[in-house]
Amino acid sequence: MRGAGSVLTWLAAIVVASTLAFMLGGYATDVYRKMLIWVALALSYNFLFGIAGQIAFSHFAFAGVGAYGVVILAHKIGLPFVMAFALAMTLCAVLAFIVALPSTRLEGFYLALATLAFSQLVLVVISEGGELTGGTGGIANYRLPSVFGHAIRGPWYTVVLVLLVALTLWVLRRLDVSTFGRACRAVRDNPDAAAAMGVGVARTKVLAYTLTSTLAGLAGIAYAYVDNVVNPPVFGLENIFLLLFMIIVGGSGSHIGAIVGAVFLYLAPFVLEPIVGHGFLVVFGVLVVLTILFQPSGLAGLLGRLSGRRTA
Amino acid sequence: MADLFELAVSATASGCIYALVALAYLLILRPTSVINFAVGEWAATGAFIGVAVLTPLAWPRLEGPYWLALLAVLVILGALGWLVEVLTVRPLIRPGISITSPILCLLGMLVIFRESLTILFGADPLPSPPPFGFKRVAFGPFAGASQQFLIIGVTLSLFAVVWLFFERTVWGRAFEAVALNRRAAALMGINLRRVTAFAFAAGAMVAGLAGLLMSPLTSAHYMMGLPLAIQGFTALVIGGVGRVEGALLGGLVLAVVEQFGARYLPIPSGLTLGFPFVLLIAFLFLRPSGLIAPREAR
Repeated sequence: MRGAGSVLTWLAAIVVASTLAFMLGGYATDVYRKMLIWVALALSYNFLFGIAGQIAFSHFAFAGVGAYGVVILAHKIGLPFVMAFALAMTLCAVLAFIVALPSTRLEGFYLALATLAFSQLVLVVISEGGELTGGTGGIANYRLPSVFGHAIRGPWYTVVLVLLVALTLWVLRRLDVSTFGRACRAVRDNPDAAAAMGVGVARTKVLAYTLTSTLAGLAGIAYAYVDNVVNPPVFGLENIFLLLFMIIVGGSGSHIGAIVGAVFLYLAPFVLEPIVGHGFLVVFGVLVVLTILFQPSGLAGLLGRLSGRRTA
Repeated sequence: MADLFELAVSATASGCIYALVALAYLLILRPTSVINFAVGEWAATGAFIGVAVLTPLAWPRLEGPYWLALLAVLVILGALGWLVEVLTVRPLIRPGISITSPILCLLGMLVIFRESLTILFGADPLPSPPPFGFKRVAFGPFAGASQQFLIIGVTLSLFAVVWLFFERTVWGRAFEAVALNRRAAALMGINLRRVTAFAFAAGAMVAGLAGLLMSPLTSAHYMMGLPLAIQGFTALVIGGVGRVEGALLGGLVLAVVEQFGARYLPIPSGLTLGFPFVLLIAFLFLRPSGLIAPREAR
């Protein structure tokens, strides 16, 4: 990804994904935007779950902290947007670091349960935050302010989301091929061996959790201006299950898998719902069980086998 | 004061339900190390089977007696637990596969169970009739619904039976041996497959019983599983994951903190919803072995 060719590939992908934004109608734009948010979240969650091996249920909580953070700071308190944005990101990073310090010491699924408790607490706080968070109804009736004198409206906001996905992917791929990425995989596969090789296991875990959770916060901030509404249910448990399923079905540990899984499971209900109604969730459950049993490398592994080469 | 005693009955009854769910986790967790988050959905399944047998709401012309509902819950849930173990867990518990694989697989099963219940019984809550009617019962100052006393009685008896099973029977010792050291237990001639299958069947039966018992108080609802799964697990962590009596103690502590806290602490009622999560986090970080420490090998 260092050569001129790969730069061109990135540019081409961004241009194509952005061009699409100008061709879609109102409803399709909404679907497309939310899909991009899901892809961004799936990419960072894949790094945490698939590459760093941490099952955490807090990803949407941090998206919520980012979204509520920026909306409260920019529209309730009235800070300039750039400052609100920076503060919301900082809040996510600091909070993630504080949660990570004790949590990442927990083994396996106990981390999932501690982070599940944390995200339920976040939900309780935003639902009971009174005037500040708007309670269970959330906050509405705000608009993305001008950033440095530019008002970003309509399809241009979709372009921002395309850039968000591109930035997330770029950062995570750079991390993945770095020493840190290898340390993450080593800690996932065998923490004792990793420690014996001189990898700081605790440090690696905390860093992976903090980085990916901050990226989730960034996606949350972007989400806040998709509907110009934030409310508690979006950041609840239902969506974290769906995100986890996207990674499993797509192929955990693979960036391509995260993208394919997110797009596939996000769009599947639009196809399935007219046929099986709400039964599509059963289909998701079956898909997850079958993937774990018979195709642990997910759709990415399947694609890799079909194209005859291994995907990283 | 009457208020206090009534609250004590109500908290004890809720605590017993949490304790049963915690026991369902424990039965599966001890011999297999698998945290089965689907136990909440199994409880919901038990509740819906109760409604289906006892009332004409789900299937018309079937208003069976209570013993039939109980039997149906135990048989169907036992079969489901066994089936889930054979289909999704057995292939995944072996060397070279991370223990998280069966746990994630069971999360998939959780969604399958919940959505199947929605398809079969609809999304609206279904009331379930209590076996001894809606009358109030009082033992001295302790007054409450008959169902609450039934829950307490059944739970305490079941815990006594399970405790005796683990302490006094060869089967119970075999369970404990597998929990302490799977490999050594297998080398001693204990059939791991049978113990694992039995653990899942028993866990599912206990969870189903919890659902059946609580449904007259809360109605059977497809969203009842996940909160119950979280509360049951919290109870387990509070009590200590190693011991049967820990599950009971943990359930009671959780319910008492929840209900007495909501009643007497001067904080907004909405925030009291956060109590179980604060407790869960506190115990995971500060006292991961729970109130009753697990038994060492001896």
